[in-house]
Amino acid sequence: MSSIKANQLKGGMFILYKDAPHEVIKCEFYFPGKGSAFARTRLKNVKTGNVYEYTYKSSESVETVEVETLELQYLYADGDTYYFMNPRTYDQFEVKEWVFDGKQKYLLPEMKMFFNQYEGEIIGVRFPPKVSLRVTEAQDAVAGNTVNAAKKPVMTETGVEVFVPLFVKANETIIVDTATNEYVSRG
Amino acid sequence: MIDGIRAYFKRKGFHEVEVPLLLPTPSTEPFLEVFKTELKDDQGERWDGFLPSSPEFALKKLLSAGSGSVFTITKSFRNGEGRSSRHNPEFTILEWYHTPGDYWSVAEDFQGLMLDILYRVSPCKVQGKTLGYQGKEYSLKAPWERISVAEAFAKYAGVDTETMLDEEKLKEVGKSKGYQVTDKTTWEEIWNQIMANEIEPKLGQKGPTIIYDYPAVVKTMAGEPVGQAALARKAKDPRFAERWEVFMGGIELGNCFSELTDWREQEARCKVDLLERKRLGKTEYPMDTDFIDALKLGMPPTGGIAVGVDRLVALFADTPTIAETLFFPVEEMFG
Repeated sequence: MSSIKANQLKGGMFILYKDAPHEVIKCEFYFPGKGSAFARTRLKNVKTGNVYEYTYKSSESVETVEVETLELQYLYADGDTYYFMNPRTYDQFEVKEWVFDGKQKYLLPEMKMFFNQYEGEIIGVRFPPKVSLRVTEAQDAVAGNTVNAAKKPVMTETGVEVFVPLFVKANETIIVDTATNEYVSRG
Repeated sequence: MIDGIRAYFKRKGFHEVEVPLLLPTPSTEPFLEVFKTELKDDQGERWDGFLPSSPEFALKKLLSAGSGSVFTITKSFRNGEGRSSRHNPEFTILEWYHTPGDYWSVAEDFQGLMLDILYRVSPCKVQGKTLGYQGKEYSLKAPWERISVAEAFAKYAGVDTETMLDEEKLKEVGKSKGYQVTDKTTWEEIWNQIMANEIEPKLGQKGPTIIYDYPAVVKTMAGEPVGQAALARKAKDPRFAERWEVFMGGIELGNCFSELTDWREQEARCKVDLLERKRLGKTEYPMDTDFIDALKLGMPPTGGIAVGVDRLVALFADTPTIAETLFFPVEEMFG
């Protein structure tokens, strides 16, 4: 374990906060102008998923946590537990739903992504920023008298509804931004 | 919005003034880093030049010269800061000085200003006087909630006034609360950390909260008083300065003082601030003696405030960051 100064904190780091490992979700530096500098953070407890806000003095030292990164492949879900496999060793891993922060709705079998592991548990994910999904249901829409680029909702294979341009048809593949749930392009 | 701010102050009889953006000596806040440049003439003579971190000294010179109540909407600059959703190195600042008056006259002005802007940007909401921000409704109805710093420390952090003002006692409390306290930790750091972690999140939940009367003396490592209240007048209890900040939804909207008008005290505080700048390794420059000379003419009793206009715009436009309110945020221009 090593330590850094709070002014080196960055989103995506793993640190010890109140003796428990936390992921830094957000870190902003705050210079009140009438005092010394502070780092305002949002921290996620990697064992419970609970989120806290904490302000560090930028001069104080913070313990960082060594996490392992591994690439795993999605197998299936059972309730709010998601099962992944290491494609090299065939080891199976359980991932709790909160780890995905709502993005589990884009999971497709065999999808690969990088996870952070700490003391044998999966505590974080680098979810792909874009995924390609097949359109399962799409109405033929008529443009009508719209001035703006018209959009229509379509259903995709994972059950996510996405607003797309009118030319998209059923059975086509589209690329979706997982951060905003917006249509990017045809796949 | 800018039109609305202008119209409001003109209606209330304030003079709008312009202030210089290139200065031989900026103001003395020890914790702010400045932008330094150089003025040259055709003979090759050179002078140090600086971009202002606030228009305060220029406005106070005008007040001392008898301008009456003034306001300015201008650019100010702060260097050497980390990136934040609430700051841009170049920003638009609104400062106004209410004279004759004090920090409570400014509170009246601010309450009126916010309702006036609300009326302009969303007239339909004026009936209820509420502003929606990031999914929550806030009431702008006057008078806003007021709580003194001493009350807030007792209520939200369980720290009494004696402890709050005492360096050793406050460090002990800080330690027991689990904050990191070392030999180098200052009173100001622990005080601000308790403020940021335990008090600020509780303020301005339903509408703006004014938190007032800050500790008058902020001691540095060298034991010199500095910073925070360096420009504010002392309150009836001399351990506190007449200064307030206003918070809403976790955002600080403004920082207000009953202005210090005693030139001797101001000169002494500026000197201390400049020494502290040196200790902190900030850019050094001489004291603005014109400012002190202006105060010698006699500055009338005045309440003054600085408000980040970009933050106000973010609030009324309901955007989480100020970058979204700027056409050219620094992240996009400089990467």
